Amino acid sequence: MPVSGRKVPPRAVELETATVASPISGREVELPAMWNRMFEPRVLTATSPDEFEKIISLPGGESLEWCYGCGKCVPVCPVDVVGEYGPRKLHRKVQTGIDLLVDDDLWLCTTCGNCLRVCPKQVDMIQIMPAAREAALTDGASVPGELQDVFEKTFRYGNALGENPRRRSAWTRSAGVPVRILPTDPSPVDVLFYVEDYWSYHPRGQQAAQAFARVATALGVDFAILGHEEKTVGDSQRLAGEKGLFDSLVEDVTATLAKYEFARIVTPDPHAFNALVKEYPKRGHQFDVLHYTQLLAPLVGQISWARELDLTVTFHDPCYLGRHNGEYDAPRTLINAIPGVTLVEMGRCRENGYCCGGGGGGMWLDGFTKNHAAERLSERRVREAAQTGADVLVVCCPYEVSRFEDAAKSTGHDNLKVIDIIELIDQAMGLGPADA
Amino acid sequence: MSFDTVAVIGGGPGGLRAAHGIAEIGGTALLIEERDFLGGTPIAENYAGLTPHGEPARPQIQAMIDAVTASPGVQVLTSTVVTAVSGEPGAFTLTMRGPDGERQAECGAIIMATGFGHFDPGRETQMYGYYEFPDVITLSDLESMLSDHKVVRPSNGEPPKRVCFVQCVGSRDRHIGNEYCSKVCCGVASKEAIEVRQLVPDSKVYIFYIDMRMYGYWENEIYWPAQEKHHVQYVKGIISEVLAKGDRLLVRGEDTTMGRPMELEMDMVVLSVGMEPSPGTKKMARLLGVQQNKYGFVDAVKVPLDTVTTSREGVFACGAALGPADLEDTVSSAANAAMKAIAYLRSRAAAAAS
Repeated sequence: MPVSGRKVPPRAVELETATVASPISGREVELPAMWNRMFEPRVLTATSPDEFEKIISLPGGESLEWCYGCGKCVPVCPVDVVGEYGPRKLHRKVQTGIDLLVDDDLWLCTTCGNCLRVCPKQVDMIQIMPAAREAALTDGASVPGELQDVFEKTFRYGNALGENPRRRSAWTRSAGVPVRILPTDPSPVDVLFYVEDYWSYHPRGQQAAQAFARVATALGVDFAILGHEEKTVGDSQRLAGEKGLFDSLVEDVTATLAKYEFARIVTPDPHAFNALVKEYPKRGHQFDVLHYTQLLAPLVGQISWARELDLTVTFHDPCYLGRHNGEYDAPRTLINAIPGVTLVEMGRCRENGYCCGGGGGGMWLDGFTKNHAAERLSERRVREAAQTGADVLVVCCPYEVSRFEDAAKSTGHDNLKVIDIIELIDQAMGLGPADA
Repeated sequence: MSFDTVAVIGGGPGGLRAAHGIAEIGGTALLIEERDFLGGTPIAENYAGLTPHGEPARPQIQAMIDAVTASPGVQVLTSTVVTAVSGEPGAFTLTMRGPDGERQAECGAIIMATGFGHFDPGRETQMYGYYEFPDVITLSDLESMLSDHKVVRPSNGEPPKRVCFVQCVGSRDRHIGNEYCSKVCCGVASKEAIEVRQLVPDSKVYIFYIDMRMYGYWENEIYWPAQEKHHVQYVKGIISEVLAKGDRLLVRGEDTTMGRPMELEMDMVVLSVGMEPSPGTKKMARLLGVQQNKYGFVDAVKVPLDTVTTSREGVFACGAALGPADLEDTVSSAANAAMKAIAYLRSRAAAAAS
């Protein structure tokens, strides 16, 4: 009996064949399908709220039971917009006896944080989901294969893509400017540029990393990277439930960082940023951390622009930079400073920004969520971006370029370009390879 | 007795507060109670704990009674009913029937503190089977069990494993004619749900509601702790019928979150019955000639800023005689009525002297 968010009419269920074991001989008799036709019962019966016990006994899981059903979360839940999952419904499902630890809903939340923003009772999915997922992993419950694969890759190679750590700094070779790699040149540095996985390995991410290197160099920023010693900070793996993996990454990452002298960490990845400012300190590791837009926004007056871009753009707030960490202005300061660029906001922006679907492990669950959603969150977002009439959907999270470029293609908005802010700055400064 | 006395009709929390209030500001009160004891519905119905905080009802009400009986300014008549009123505002004569037969008393002003009665679930148009199934009870039936610290199924004396409360029984209903919200039942049900969870820790307790109306601090002082600390399960959607299923009860309603029918087995069903004017309220209102609303409660004619003045000069009302009220409302309006009545008498005396 499926529990569903909309009225489902009784559905005839018919198996092709069925077997019945004789209670006397034990022999199995095959029955034709007509004997096995039934209507799925819609009436909810014999439920018990016992399943709450399992969740609320987990550290972080307590608030699941606090929902009083106001419904504010459902319209702002990005997943509910495209499917049936919704935080309030999740409370009700558990109240009616669904075991969240083995339910598909466990993996649908992207931890975007919009439900918590509106929830008057502070039912905190950002705590509940990782706790329940961790419990499911510990119980040996089935984890979606594609996510398990990422956990294994991260464990083995220190990055979610399963790439060779030796190739972490491959992007620097065609950056057009020298990029200092700390293991080779360990002298003290101002900015430790924590590149993270997608800017290190994804082709479009590498282009953004190269743009950053050129812009930072032009602005006289003293920066260096960890090269092959860098491992992912691991925040999305944590939110996807692999706390053990995250803990060991924290040890590895902080051991590496301890080897070098730097003033601050700058990262393009809002997920890494989130973990470094919120989770690492809980484990005793305090750093001065900036998202790259926060490094560059105060320097915007020093930029010498080479050209006007003549573009109308719209901007997608990364959940983990905006809602989770309150930074809405640094990216906009940069966008508005680029000559010839006009920013048109989407309806859902800033505090109410719509999730791209990549957070909380969603980056690695597109195959799984396909069965539970009418379309991908990234597709929904791209259509919203296209409606503004913008030429470019501007982003500043490494997950987003690949997600939105795919979505732009699949929704027929091929002319909508997806570009990181740093790439636009690079272009307008005339630093890119085409200008060299 | 004389015309500088205030007659207070009804010896429940409202009447006790009013009579004591009159004495506190130097007036004289005559407190008339139909029952042979003071304390009103909380005592008559054997309430366990007072909403919201659950202090034991009996000692709390007893303290009010003691304050009244210790006041030299208050004369108390129990087992006494008012049968007639004559005279005019400022100079009423009450005719009463009591244990010693008929007597008369003079008073200058009257406070009605005649209270409410619980809705009779037999009049409910839903099929709740209150008179059919022993395990279907009301909030006040459960109060009585709670004051004995023993919550059991009336049918077999066993502690219930699954209990549900059904809200808005006899309230907010055109069929029944009670369109108003009875105001206290959400809080009382939640308070009782907490007490059931404490007395029967392995029980599952549900509350089925249209919307939880937890005024002011009741929200965070009753509702939230009930849900968050005592694990009471709140389910949006009212039960529309109760059926027998073996030796248990099957409650049928809608799972409104998921949009499906819902049938759950319960050991005990508690109907959150609302408030209606007590027979005494209706009778006294007619006798005193004060305007009543369509439900029979006394009309406060100068609301919202004067909650106790009735349509008849010199007659004031307080508490649940005016409509659904919790204890806090009741004692507040009672003190207000005491002040108004004394002020009325003094202004007449001042006018007469000049």
